Amino acid sequence: MRKLLAILLIVGVGFASASERNLVMVRSPARAAHVMDVLKETILEYGYQVAHTQRCDGGMAEFHYKSDFYRVVFFGKVKEVREVLKRHPEMSPYLPLKIAVVAEKDATVLAAVDPRALAPMFPDDAELHVLLARWYNDIDAMLEELRELKKAP
Amino acid sequence: MKYLSILLLSLLSLPLMAAPDGKALYERNCSVCHHFKGEGGIGLPLTAEILSQVSDDYIAKTIRVGRPGRIMPSFNALSDAQVQAIVRYIRSWSGKPGPVFKTTRLQGDSARGKPLFEKHCVRCHGKDGSGEGPGTGVTLSRERSFMVMPAALNNPGFQQSASDAMIHDIVLSGRKVGGMPSFKSKLTDQEVADVVAYVRTLKPPALHQGMEEWRGKPAYIMESPYDFETTVENVKQALTGANFRIFPPRYLEQGLTDEFSVNTRQISIRFCNFKELYHLLNIDPRLGTVLPCRINVIERDGKVLVISANVAQLATLFNNQELSEVGVLMEEIILSVMEEATL
Repeated sequence: MRKLLAILLIVGVGFASASERNLVMVRSPARAAHVMDVLKETILEYGYQVAHTQRCDGGMAEFHYKSDFYRVVFFGKVKEVREVLKRHPEMSPYLPLKIAVVAEKDATVLAAVDPRALAPMFPDDAELHVLLARWYNDIDAMLEELRELKKAP
Repeated sequence: MKYLSILLLSLLSLPLMAAPDGKALYERNCSVCHHFKGEGGIGLPLTAEILSQVSDDYIAKTIRVGRPGRIMPSFNALSDAQVQAIVRYIRSWSGKPGPVFKTTRLQGDSARGKPLFEKHCVRCHGKDGSGEGPGTGVTLSRERSFMVMPAALNNPGFQQSASDAMIHDIVLSGRKVGGMPSFKSKLTDQEVADVVAYVRTLKPPALHQGMEEWRGKPAYIMESPYDFETTVENVKQALTGANFRIFPPRYLEQGLTDEFSVNTRQISIRFCNFKELYHLLNIDPRLGTVLPCRINVIERDGKVLVISANVAQLATLFNNQELSEVGVLMEEIILSVMEEATL
Protein backbone atom coordinates (compact mmCIF):
# COMPACT_ATOMS: atom_id res chain seq x y z
CA MET A 1 0.00 0.00 0.00
CA ARG A 2 2.86 2.37 0.88
CA LYS A 3 4.45 1.57 -2.48
CA LEU A 4 1.22 2.40 -4.23
CA LEU A 5 0.92 5.72 -2.39
CA ALA A 6 4.52 6.55 -3.31
CA ILE A 7 3.73 5.83 -6.98
CA LEU A 8 0.66 8.07 -6.82
CA LEU A 9 2.69 10.90 -5.29
CA ILE A 10 5.38 10.52 -7.94
CA VAL A 11 2.68 10.65 -10.64
CA GLY A 12 1.59 13.93 -9.04
CA VAL A 13 5.13 15.30 -9.22
CA GLY A 14 5.30 14.23 -12.86
CA PHE A 15 2.18 16.22 -13.71
CA ALA A 16 3.68 19.26 -12.06
CA SER A 17 6.78 19.18 -14.19
CA ALA A 18 4.65 18.93 -17.33
CA SER A 19 3.00 22.25 -16.60
CA GLU A 20 4.62 25.67 -16.49
CA ARG A 21 2.21 27.00 -13.94
CA ASN A 22 4.22 27.81 -10.87
CA LEU A 23 1.46 29.45 -8.89
CA VAL A 24 -1.66 27.85 -7.48
CA MET A 25 -4.45 30.39 -7.94
CA VAL A 26 -8.21 30.51 -7.70
CA ARG A 27 -10.93 33.13 -7.81
CA SER A 28 -13.62 32.91 -5.16
CA PRO A 29 -16.95 34.68 -5.73
CA ALA A 30 -17.13 35.54 -2.00
CA ARG A 31 -15.89 38.78 -0.46
CA ALA A 32 -12.31 38.94 0.79
CA ALA A 33 -13.07 39.31 4.51
CA HIS A 34 -15.30 36.23 4.46
CA VAL A 35 -12.77 34.29 2.38
CA MET A 36 -10.08 35.14 4.95
CA ASP A 37 -12.18 33.71 7.79
CA VAL A 38 -12.95 30.52 5.88
CA LEU A 39 -9.33 30.15 4.75
CA LYS A 40 -8.10 30.22 8.33
CA GLU A 41 -10.63 27.56 9.33
CA THR A 42 -9.74 25.46 6.30
CA ILE A 43 -6.03 25.62 7.08
CA LEU A 44 -6.74 24.24 10.56
CA GLU A 45 -8.98 21.52 9.13
CA TYR A 46 -6.07 20.35 7.00
CA GLY A 47 -3.93 19.96 10.10
CA TYR A 48 -1.82 23.09 9.73
CA GLN A 49 -1.35 25.92 12.19
CA VAL A 50 -1.94 29.53 11.14
CA ALA A 51 1.27 31.30 12.15
CA HIS A 52 0.16 34.85 11.44
CA THR A 53 -1.48 37.18 8.95
CA GLN A 54 0.32 40.04 7.28
CA ARG A 55 -1.69 43.12 6.21
CA CYS A 56 -0.02 44.43 3.07
CA ASP A 57 -2.73 47.01 2.34
CA GLY A 58 -2.41 48.49 5.83
CA GLY A 59 1.28 49.26 5.35
CA MET A 60 0.65 50.84 1.98
CA ALA A 61 -2.24 52.92 3.30
CA GLU A 62 0.04 54.22 6.05
CA PHE A 63 2.25 55.59 3.28
CA HIS A 64 -0.78 56.97 1.39
CA TYR A 65 -0.79 54.33 -1.33
CA LYS A 66 -4.32 53.26 -2.23
CA SER A 67 -4.85 49.53 -2.09
CA ASP A 68 -7.67 47.01 -1.94
CA PHE A 69 -7.83 44.31 0.74
CA TYR A 70 -4.53 42.44 0.57
CA ARG A 71 -3.44 39.90 3.17
CA VAL A 72 -0.88 37.14 3.34
CA VAL A 73 -1.64 34.16 5.59
CA PHE A 74 1.34 32.15 6.90
CA PHE A 75 0.82 28.56 7.97
CA GLY A 76 2.64 25.31 8.52
CA LYS A 77 3.36 22.35 10.75
CA VAL A 78 6.23 22.94 13.13
CA LYS A 79 7.45 19.36 12.88
CA GLU A 80 7.75 19.57 9.10
CA VAL A 81 9.38 23.00 9.23
CA ARG A 82 12.00 21.69 11.66
CA GLU A 83 12.70 18.55 9.65
CA VAL A 84 13.12 20.47 6.40
CA LEU A 85 15.32 23.20 7.90
CA LYS A 86 17.55 20.60 9.52
CA ARG A 87 18.47 19.35 6.07
CA HIS A 88 18.03 22.56 4.09
CA PRO A 89 18.40 25.90 5.88
CA GLU A 90 18.10 27.46 2.41
CA MET A 91 14.40 26.48 2.51
CA SER A 92 13.85 28.96 5.38
CA PRO A 93 12.74 31.86 3.11
CA TYR A 94 9.88 29.66 1.87
CA LEU A 95 8.63 28.66 5.31
CA PRO A 96 6.09 28.88 6.80
CA LEU A 97 3.98 28.35 3.70
CA LYS A 98 1.81 31.26 2.63
CA ILE A 99 -1.30 32.18 0.69
CA ALA A 100 -2.05 35.69 -0.57
CA VAL A 101 -5.66 36.90 -0.38
CA VAL A 102 -6.45 39.81 -2.69
CA ALA A 103 -9.79 41.53 -3.22
CA GLU A 104 -10.92 42.19 -6.76
CA LYS A 105 -14.09 44.19 -6.35
CA ASP A 106 -16.64 41.71 -4.91
CA ALA A 107 -14.57 38.64 -5.70
CA THR A 108 -11.33 37.41 -4.15
CA VAL A 109 -8.18 36.04 -5.70
CA LEU A 110 -6.12 33.56 -3.70
CA ALA A 111 -2.61 32.69 -4.77
CA ALA A 112 0.32 30.67 -3.51
CA VAL A 113 3.60 29.56 -4.97
CA ASP A 114 3.34 25.92 -6.06
CA PRO A 115 5.78 24.26 -3.63
CA ARG A 116 6.73 21.80 -6.37
CA ALA A 117 8.35 24.69 -8.26
CA LEU A 118 11.13 24.50 -5.67
CA ALA A 119 11.84 20.81 -6.33
CA PRO A 120 14.35 21.28 -9.21
CA MET A 121 16.52 23.31 -6.84
CA PHE A 122 16.87 20.26 -4.59
CA PRO A 123 17.55 17.55 -7.17
CA ASP A 124 18.95 15.00 -4.73
CA ASP A 125 16.25 15.01 -2.07
CA ALA A 126 13.42 12.72 -3.16
CA GLU A 127 11.89 12.87 0.31
CA LEU A 128 11.60 16.65 0.03
CA HIS A 129 10.00 16.27 -3.41
CA VAL A 130 7.28 14.09 -1.90
CA LEU A 131 6.71 16.63 0.87
CA LEU A 132 6.53 19.50 -1.66
CA ALA A 133 3.98 17.48 -3.66
CA ARG A 134 1.91 16.92 -0.53
CA TRP A 135 2.01 20.62 0.33
CA TYR A 136 0.86 21.36 -3.21
CA ASN A 137 -2.00 18.86 -2.92
CA ASP A 138 -3.12 20.41 0.36
CA ILE A 139 -2.90 24.01 -0.89
CA ASP A 140 -4.70 23.08 -4.09
CA ALA A 141 -7.47 21.29 -2.17
CA MET A 142 -7.84 24.18 0.28
CA LEU A 143 -8.07 26.74 -2.49
CA GLU A 144 -10.57 24.58 -4.36
CA GLU A 145 -12.82 24.67 -1.31
CA LEU A 146 -12.61 28.47 -1.30
CA ARG A 147 -13.28 28.66 -5.02
CA GLU A 148 -16.53 26.84 -4.40
CA LEU A 149 -17.70 29.28 -1.74
CA LYS A 150 -20.98 30.91 -2.59
CA LYS A 151 -21.27 34.60 -3.32
CA ALA A 152 -22.72 36.51 -0.38
CA PRO A 153 -26.35 37.58 -0.99
CA MET B 1 -3.67 -5.73 -3.21
CA LYS B 2 -3.97 -6.43 -6.96
CA TYR B 3 -7.67 -5.53 -6.92
CA LEU B 4 -6.98 -2.38 -4.93
CA SER B 5 -4.46 -1.26 -7.55
CA ILE B 6 -6.91 -1.94 -10.39
CA LEU B 7 -9.62 -0.04 -8.54
CA LEU B 8 -7.33 2.96 -7.95
CA LEU B 9 -6.17 3.00 -11.57
CA SER B 10 -9.78 2.81 -12.75
CA LEU B 11 -10.71 5.72 -10.52
CA LEU B 12 -7.76 7.73 -11.87
CA SER B 13 -8.84 7.14 -15.46
CA LEU B 14 -12.48 8.14 -14.89
CA PRO B 15 -11.93 11.87 -15.55
CA LEU B 16 -10.20 10.97 -18.83
CA MET B 17 -13.21 9.03 -20.07
CA ALA B 18 -15.87 11.60 -19.16
CA ALA B 19 -16.65 14.37 -21.66
CA PRO B 20 -14.82 17.51 -20.55
CA ASP B 21 -16.95 20.21 -18.95
CA GLY B 22 -15.84 23.52 -20.49
CA LYS B 23 -17.41 25.66 -17.79
CA ALA B 24 -15.79 23.70 -14.98
CA LEU B 25 -12.44 23.73 -16.79
CA TYR B 26 -12.68 27.46 -17.42
CA GLU B 27 -13.55 28.18 -13.81
CA ARG B 28 -10.73 25.98 -12.56
CA ASN B 29 -8.02 27.21 -14.93
CA CYS B 30 -8.96 30.57 -16.40
CA SER B 31 -11.38 32.47 -14.14
CA VAL B 32 -8.72 33.49 -11.64
CA CYS B 33 -7.13 35.81 -14.21
CA HIS B 34 -9.91 36.40 -16.77
CA HIS B 35 -12.80 36.51 -14.22
CA PHE B 36 -15.95 34.40 -14.29
CA LYS B 37 -17.31 35.64 -17.62
CA GLY B 38 -14.20 37.13 -19.19
CA GLU B 39 -14.45 40.49 -17.43
CA GLY B 40 -10.67 40.46 -17.06
CA GLY B 41 -8.44 41.03 -14.07
CA ILE B 42 -4.82 40.01 -13.94
CA GLY B 43 -5.55 38.60 -17.39
CA LEU B 44 -6.94 40.13 -20.54
CA PRO B 45 -10.68 40.81 -20.62
CA LEU B 46 -12.29 38.43 -23.09
CA THR B 47 -14.79 40.94 -24.41
CA ALA B 48 -17.30 40.24 -27.16
CA GLU B 49 -15.31 42.55 -29.43
CA ILE B 50 -12.01 40.75 -28.83
CA LEU B 51 -13.60 37.32 -29.19
CA SER B 52 -15.24 38.36 -32.46
CA GLN B 53 -11.80 39.13 -33.88
CA VAL B 54 -9.96 35.96 -32.97
CA SER B 55 -10.41 32.42 -34.24
CA ASP B 56 -11.03 29.31 -32.15
CA ASP B 57 -7.65 28.11 -33.35
CA TYR B 58 -6.00 31.25 -31.94
CA ILE B 59 -7.68 30.79 -28.54
CA ALA B 60 -6.76 27.10 -28.43
CA LYS B 61 -3.12 27.76 -29.34
CA THR B 62 -2.96 30.60 -26.82
CA ILE B 63 -4.18 28.23 -24.09
CA ARG B 64 -1.58 25.69 -25.18
CA VAL B 65 1.50 27.89 -25.51
CA GLY B 66 0.60 30.83 -23.27
CA ARG B 67 2.56 34.05 -23.46
CA PRO B 68 6.10 33.55 -22.20
CA GLY B 69 7.01 36.47 -19.95
CA ARG B 70 3.49 38.00 -20.06
CA ILE B 71 1.78 36.22 -17.14
CA MET B 72 -0.38 33.81 -19.18
CA PRO B 73 1.06 30.34 -18.55
CA SER B 74 0.99 27.47 -21.00
CA PHE B 75 -1.65 24.89 -20.17
CA ASN B 76 0.14 22.04 -21.83
CA ALA B 77 -1.22 19.46 -19.39
CA LEU B 78 -4.77 19.91 -20.73
CA SER B 79 -5.91 17.48 -23.40
CA ASP B 80 -7.06 18.70 -26.82
CA ALA B 81 -10.63 17.82 -25.85
CA GLN B 82 -10.34 19.90 -22.69
CA VAL B 83 -8.94 22.90 -24.58
CA GLN B 84 -11.75 22.63 -27.15
CA ALA B 85 -14.29 22.45 -24.33
CA ILE B 86 -12.94 25.69 -22.85
CA VAL B 87 -13.09 27.38 -26.26
CA ARG B 88 -16.70 26.24 -26.71
CA TYR B 89 -17.59 27.56 -23.27
CA ILE B 90 -16.02 30.96 -24.03
CA ARG B 91 -17.96 31.08 -27.32
CA SER B 92 -21.19 30.25 -25.50
CA TRP B 93 -21.16 33.70 -23.85
CA SER B 94 -22.13 35.38 -27.09
CA GLY B 95 -23.58 32.33 -28.83
CA LYS B 96 -21.73 33.40 -31.97
CA PRO B 97 -19.05 31.32 -33.67
CA GLY B 98 -15.58 32.78 -34.00
CA PRO B 99 -14.15 33.91 -37.34
CA VAL B 100 -12.10 31.50 -39.38
CA PHE B 101 -8.90 32.73 -41.01
CA LYS B 102 -6.69 31.27 -43.71
CA THR B 103 -3.53 29.83 -42.22
CA THR B 104 -1.34 30.57 -45.22
CA ARG B 105 1.28 33.31 -44.93
CA LEU B 106 0.50 36.65 -46.58
CA GLN B 107 2.80 37.79 -49.34
CA GLY B 108 4.25 40.85 -47.63
CA ASP B 109 7.62 42.59 -47.76
CA SER B 110 9.07 43.15 -44.30
CA ALA B 111 11.46 45.85 -45.60
CA ARG B 112 8.49 47.88 -46.83
CA GLY B 113 6.55 47.06 -43.66
CA LYS B 114 9.24 48.34 -41.27
CA PRO B 115 8.75 52.09 -41.89
CA LEU B 116 4.97 51.63 -41.81
CA PHE B 117 5.22 49.80 -38.50
CA GLU B 118 7.44 52.58 -37.13
CA LYS B 119 5.00 55.23 -38.29
CA HIS B 120 1.73 53.65 -37.14
CA CYS B 121 2.38 50.96 -34.54
CA VAL B 122 5.46 51.82 -32.46
CA ARG B 123 3.70 54.35 -30.24
CA CYS B 124 1.62 51.61 -28.57
CA HIS B 125 3.35 48.34 -29.42
CA GLY B 126 6.90 49.63 -28.89
CA LYS B 127 9.83 49.61 -31.28
CA ASP B 128 10.52 45.93 -30.68
CA GLY B 129 6.81 45.02 -30.50
CA SER B 130 6.92 44.31 -26.76
CA GLY B 131 3.69 46.20 -26.17
CA GLU B 132 5.12 48.15 -23.28
CA GLY B 133 2.65 50.36 -21.51
CA PRO B 134 -0.07 50.41 -18.87
CA GLY B 135 -2.84 47.88 -19.12
CA THR B 136 -3.47 44.41 -17.81
CA GLY B 137 -2.97 43.67 -14.14
CA VAL B 138 -5.86 45.69 -12.86
CA THR B 139 -5.96 44.60 -9.25
CA LEU B 140 -5.24 47.14 -6.53
CA SER B 141 -5.19 50.73 -7.64
CA ARG B 142 -4.39 50.30 -11.29
CA GLU B 143 -6.65 52.35 -13.51
CA ARG B 144 -9.39 50.28 -15.04
CA SER B 145 -10.13 52.74 -17.80
CA PHE B 146 -7.46 51.18 -20.01
CA MET B 147 -7.91 47.50 -19.53
CA VAL B 148 -5.87 46.08 -22.35
CA MET B 149 -2.16 46.33 -22.71
CA PRO B 150 -1.11 46.59 -26.37
CA ALA B 151 -0.36 43.09 -27.63
CA ALA B 152 3.24 41.89 -27.35
CA LEU B 153 3.64 41.22 -31.04
CA ASN B 154 7.16 39.88 -30.56
CA ASN B 155 6.02 37.29 -28.04
CA PRO B 156 6.65 33.73 -29.24
CA GLY B 157 3.23 32.71 -27.90
CA PHE B 158 1.51 35.38 -29.98
CA GLN B 159 3.60 34.57 -33.03
CA GLN B 160 2.66 30.89 -32.81
CA SER B 161 -1.03 31.53 -32.15
CA ALA B 162 -1.95 34.37 -34.53
CA SER B 163 -2.25 33.73 -38.25
CA ASP B 164 -1.19 36.43 -40.72
CA ALA B 165 -4.78 36.79 -41.87
CA MET B 166 -6.00 37.38 -38.31
CA ILE B 167 -3.42 40.12 -37.65
CA HIS B 168 -4.28 41.66 -41.03
CA ASP B 169 -7.96 41.69 -40.13
CA ILE B 170 -7.37 43.31 -36.72
CA VAL B 171 -5.14 46.02 -38.22
CA LEU B 172 -7.94 46.92 -40.61
CA SER B 173 -10.77 46.82 -38.06
CA GLY B 174 -8.98 48.20 -34.98
CA ARG B 175 -9.91 47.31 -31.41
CA LYS B 176 -11.96 49.69 -29.31
CA VAL B 177 -11.23 48.11 -25.92
CA GLY B 178 -7.51 48.69 -26.30
CA GLY B 179 -7.80 52.04 -28.06
CA MET B 180 -6.44 50.63 -31.32
CA PRO B 181 -7.68 52.63 -34.32
CA SER B 182 -8.79 51.12 -37.60
CA PHE B 183 -6.20 51.47 -40.37
CA LYS B 184 -8.71 50.80 -43.14
CA SER B 185 -8.46 54.29 -44.56
CA LYS B 186 -4.73 54.68 -43.90
CA LEU B 187 -3.20 51.48 -45.26
CA THR B 188 -3.88 49.37 -48.33
CA ASP B 189 -4.25 45.60 -48.13
CA GLN B 190 -0.73 45.17 -49.46
CA GLU B 191 0.69 47.66 -46.95
CA VAL B 192 -0.96 45.76 -44.09
CA ALA B 193 0.54 42.55 -45.47
CA ASP B 194 3.94 44.29 -45.43
CA VAL B 195 3.43 45.32 -41.81
CA VAL B 196 2.47 41.73 -40.92
CA ALA B 197 5.63 40.49 -42.65
CA TYR B 198 7.64 42.91 -40.54
CA VAL B 199 5.82 41.81 -37.35
CA ARG B 200 6.99 38.28 -38.15
CA THR B 201 10.61 39.44 -37.93
CA LEU B 202 10.23 40.85 -34.39
CA LYS B 203 12.09 38.96 -31.70
CA PRO B 204 11.58 39.03 -27.94
CA PRO B 205 14.19 40.98 -25.99
CA ALA B 206 17.00 39.04 -24.35
CA LEU B 207 16.24 38.23 -20.72
CA HIS B 208 18.52 39.46 -18.00
CA GLN B 209 19.38 36.71 -15.57
CA GLY B 210 20.53 36.75 -12.01
CA MET B 211 24.17 36.36 -11.07
CA GLU B 212 25.65 33.14 -12.38
CA GLU B 213 27.04 32.24 -8.97
CA TRP B 214 23.52 31.99 -7.51
CA ARG B 215 21.61 30.76 -10.54
CA GLY B 216 19.48 27.66 -9.88
CA LYS B 217 19.84 28.00 -6.12
CA PRO B 218 16.81 28.57 -3.90
CA ALA B 219 18.47 31.08 -1.59
CA TYR B 220 21.44 33.31 -0.99
CA ILE B 221 23.37 32.07 2.03
CA MET B 222 26.27 33.79 3.75
CA GLU B 223 28.04 32.75 6.92
CA SER B 224 28.44 35.55 9.43
CA PRO B 225 31.68 35.98 11.36
CA TYR B 226 29.67 37.59 14.17
CA ASP B 227 27.53 36.08 16.91
CA PHE B 228 23.78 35.68 16.41
CA GLU B 229 22.66 38.90 18.12
CA THR B 230 25.30 41.07 16.43
CA THR B 231 24.43 39.59 13.04
CA VAL B 232 20.73 40.40 13.56
CA GLU B 233 21.63 44.01 14.40
CA ASN B 234 23.99 44.22 11.42
CA VAL B 235 21.25 43.05 9.04
CA LYS B 236 18.81 45.62 10.45
CA GLN B 237 21.34 48.43 10.10
CA ALA B 238 22.23 47.44 6.56
CA LEU B 239 18.54 47.33 5.60
CA THR B 240 17.90 50.75 7.13
CA GLY B 241 20.89 52.08 5.19
CA ALA B 242 19.32 50.70 2.00
CA ASN B 243 16.09 52.68 2.70
CA PHE B 244 13.95 49.81 3.84
CA ARG B 245 11.43 49.99 6.64
CA ILE B 246 11.89 47.14 9.10
CA PHE B 247 8.97 45.37 10.77
CA PRO B 248 9.31 43.80 14.20
CA PRO B 249 11.34 40.61 13.68
CA ARG B 250 9.62 37.24 14.09
CA TYR B 251 10.95 33.88 15.03
CA LEU B 252 10.64 31.54 12.10
CA GLU B 253 8.54 29.12 14.13
CA GLN B 254 6.49 31.83 15.84
CA GLY B 255 2.79 31.03 15.76
CA LEU B 256 3.45 27.43 14.75
CA THR B 257 4.23 26.30 18.26
CA ASP B 258 3.92 27.62 21.81
CA GLU B 259 6.22 30.38 23.03
CA PHE B 260 8.25 28.01 25.21
CA SER B 261 9.08 25.60 22.38
CA VAL B 262 9.85 28.14 19.69
CA ASN B 263 13.41 28.15 18.37
CA THR B 264 14.71 31.62 19.24
CA ARG B 265 17.87 31.17 17.19
CA GLN B 266 15.99 31.44 13.90
CA ILE B 267 14.81 34.98 13.21
CA SER B 268 13.09 36.51 10.19
CA ILE B 269 13.88 40.17 9.65
CA ARG B 270 11.03 41.46 7.51
CA PHE B 271 11.47 44.64 5.53
CA CYS B 272 9.72 46.71 2.90
CA ASN B 273 10.01 49.80 0.78
CA PHE B 274 6.35 50.72 0.32
CA LYS B 275 6.95 52.91 -2.72
CA GLU B 276 8.66 50.01 -4.46
CA LEU B 277 6.06 47.55 -3.20
CA TYR B 278 3.24 49.66 -4.62
CA HIS B 279 5.04 49.82 -7.94
CA LEU B 280 5.71 46.08 -7.92
CA LEU B 281 2.13 45.13 -7.03
CA ASN B 282 1.04 47.12 -10.04
CA ILE B 283 3.42 45.13 -12.19
CA ASP B 284 2.07 41.90 -10.73
CA PRO B 285 -0.63 41.75 -8.06
CA ARG B 286 0.26 38.12 -7.34
CA LEU B 287 3.48 39.23 -5.72
CA GLY B 288 1.93 38.75 -2.27
CA THR B 289 2.68 35.04 -2.63
CA VAL B 290 6.33 35.83 -1.88
CA LEU B 291 5.88 38.77 0.47
CA PRO B 292 7.12 40.19 2.73
CA CYS B 293 10.78 40.57 1.85
CA ARG B 294 12.80 39.02 4.62
CA ILE B 295 16.29 38.01 5.58
CA ASN B 296 16.59 35.11 8.00
CA VAL B 297 19.35 34.73 10.55
CA ILE B 298 19.76 31.15 11.67
CA GLU B 299 22.19 29.69 14.17
CA ARG B 300 23.05 26.02 13.72
CA ASP B 301 26.01 23.83 14.50
CA GLY B 302 27.86 26.82 15.95
CA LYS B 303 27.51 28.81 12.71
CA VAL B 304 25.43 31.91 12.09
CA LEU B 305 23.86 31.92 8.63
CA VAL B 306 22.25 34.87 6.85
CA ILE B 307 19.72 33.66 4.31
CA SER B 308 17.41 35.31 1.79
CA ALA B 309 15.25 33.88 -0.98
CA ASN B 310 16.95 33.99 -4.35
CA VAL B 311 14.76 36.82 -5.62
CA ALA B 312 16.04 36.67 -9.19
CA GLN B 313 15.08 33.00 -9.33
CA LEU B 314 11.83 33.52 -7.46
CA ALA B 315 10.69 36.29 -9.82
CA THR B 316 10.86 33.89 -12.76
CA LEU B 317 8.02 31.82 -11.25
CA PHE B 318 5.54 34.54 -12.20
CA ASN B 319 6.06 34.38 -15.97
CA ASN B 320 6.20 38.17 -15.96
CA GLN B 321 9.23 39.57 -17.69
CA GLU B 322 8.88 43.00 -16.10
CA LEU B 323 8.94 41.40 -12.68
CA SER B 324 11.89 39.20 -13.63
CA GLU B 325 13.87 42.32 -14.49
CA VAL B 326 13.05 43.77 -11.06
CA GLY B 327 14.11 40.48 -9.47
CA VAL B 328 17.56 40.87 -11.01
CA LEU B 329 17.86 44.41 -9.61
CA MET B 330 16.61 43.31 -6.19
CA GLU B 331 19.21 40.55 -6.14
CA GLU B 332 21.95 43.14 -6.26
CA ILE B 333 20.40 45.14 -3.39
CA ILE B 334 19.78 42.13 -1.13
CA LEU B 335 23.21 40.67 -1.72
CA SER B 336 24.83 44.01 -0.88
CA VAL B 337 22.80 44.18 2.37
CA MET B 338 23.85 40.64 3.26
CA GLU B 339 27.48 41.34 2.43
CA GLU B 340 27.46 44.51 4.50
CA ALA B 341 25.98 42.64 7.46
CA THR B 342 28.55 39.87 7.32
CA LEU B 343 31.67 41.87 6.45
